[in-house]
Amino acid sequence: MAATLTATAPTPARSRKLLASRRTRVGILYALPVVVYLLVLFVYPIFSTLFLSLKNTDGSLTLHWYADALTGINLSVLFTTLRISAETALFSLLFGFILANAISRLKPLWAGVAMLIVVVPHFISALVRTYGWIILLGDKGLVNETLGWVPGAPFQLLYNEIGVVIGTTSVMLPYTVLLLYGVMRGVDRRLLAAAASMGAGRVTIFRRVYLPLVAPGLASAGLLSFILSLGYYITPALMGGPNQTMIASLINQQVMKQNQWNGAAAEGVILLLLTFAGLLLVRLITSLGASRKKRSAS
Amino acid sequence: MMELRRTLAGRIALTAVATVILLFLALPIIVILVTSFSDNAFAAFPPNAWTLHWYTSLFADGSKWPAALSLSALVACLSTVFSLIIGVTAATALTRSELPLRSAVYALVLGPLLIPQIVTALGLFLLFEPASMLGSPLAIALGHTVLASPIAVLILVATLRGIDERLEDAAASMGAGRLTIARRITFPLAAPGMIAAAIFSFITSFDEFYISQFLSSVDTVTLPVQIYNSLTFDIDPSVTAISAILIAFAILALVLVALVRWLGSGRQDSPLSVENTAGIAAPGGEAV
Repeated sequence: MAATLTATAPTPARSRKLLASRRTRVGILYALPVVVYLLVLFVYPIFSTLFLSLKNTDGSLTLHWYADALTGINLSVLFTTLRISAETALFSLLFGFILANAISRLKPLWAGVAMLIVVVPHFISALVRTYGWIILLGDKGLVNETLGWVPGAPFQLLYNEIGVVIGTTSVMLPYTVLLLYGVMRGVDRRLLAAAASMGAGRVTIFRRVYLPLVAPGLASAGLLSFILSLGYYITPALMGGPNQTMIASLINQQVMKQNQWNGAAAEGVILLLLTFAGLLLVRLITSLGASRKKRSAS
Repeated sequence: MMELRRTLAGRIALTAVATVILLFLALPIIVILVTSFSDNAFAAFPPNAWTLHWYTSLFADGSKWPAALSLSALVACLSTVFSLIIGVTAATALTRSELPLRSAVYALVLGPLLIPQIVTALGLFLLFEPASMLGSPLAIALGHTVLASPIAVLILVATLRGIDERLEDAAASMGAGRLTIARRITFPLAAPGMIAAAIFSFITSFDEFYISQFLSSVDTVTLPVQIYNSLTFDIDPSVTAISAILIAFAILALVLVALVRWLGSGRQDSPLSVENTAGIAAPGGEAV
């Protein structure tokens, strides 16, 4: 078939083929910097982490470092990480839902102003924002001064889990607001109006129409802030106590203080696997949501 | 959604809660700005008296801040240059040519944004430690580029997708060479995107903590690591002043990006529009 094509119209077919291959060559040439860069400085280092986590001190293969990472204090650090990440995800999802919902009803100018208040903190170093919380939540900070009349004041809001969750939630919140805002703007309001015209009450519309429509977005926003919290330690290290040590902080300590690279590598791989599991779930939910949308549309 | 028959009380309650949440986001930043001018920088708020002392003490003898600031600036500049080179070439490959394994390249580019930064940092430490490059500004910049270049690629892919390819074809049909097309058509149209990519690469590198923490040495410490150290070990009240300066930098950079986007979009809408502000946060646009 190709032979007959070239026989009948040799020039256009050949030039198109040549063009295609030229475009391919250009593509490969231009993709080379990013591919080489990330293979050398991203993929290779992660594989060397993986190998290191499996290597014994004498060079033989071992699962010893994983056993170490999953017992005793290290295991409790892992559970702390999961717990703080879950609490952070829950609160940033709840606040994010309320805020994104409120913004999606505002007039464009006010919505722009509100989005600015969400977006600007996102680009200010998390260290700086954490420091702001340390000033706010101290014994003589604004929060305790304001709550001075409440019995039991001043409250211990720093160096415990309350402080950590307040801090990490404020760091993760911009992500969830932005994601949920996008989802909420995609909701077809005619569906809500249709439900209302058929006599559904506000609660019913919310529960049976609106919530199912935004549910996939909610699930992936929550999972995403969970994943981002897993590898985070700036705020827990600065605002928490010894009981709020996170896995990323442990990795840092093992490398910097104990020179324990293998153990750190194993912790890193565990963190990586948890992240992959979370990302897989996000993917699953997105594709489920997409197929449901397609089904309801057809 | 339920503007239909929403009660006034419900609307007021929602607005109040939303305002509290917005305060929750803004308050830590406002508090830093105010405290940096306060005579008592140790966590007492609101302040009793005002002073510029913390700003002047940044440059006092023996202060670690100027060195950290200049190292961070140098590293961020290097990283911006690397990211732009990688970003421009990669975005060209992804939008203007045939690329085998395109989705694999995309997955590779997104990788550093999805994987915990601490894992990337550990890997880079294992790469640079044997080369005894710890503490080298070049090593830190190369590390930061792993995080900054994917952002640059995503912004530039969105930019190039937004440029009508027919303009380039038209120029070609009139006899313009590829260099001329790039210089006279594509580059001017892509300039706002390139500026945005440069600014975001710079901010990414300037604020980066984990990789810097792993790759710095005792006498080469980037600004975020220095801030972290002064918050954990030696309590240096001038950290409020440097934090306030960082806030001012970030806001300035975002204003710049918003202006560039606004000018680039033909001034149809205000830089305050939701699309523009949200576009700042998700610079990759649809590519993400």
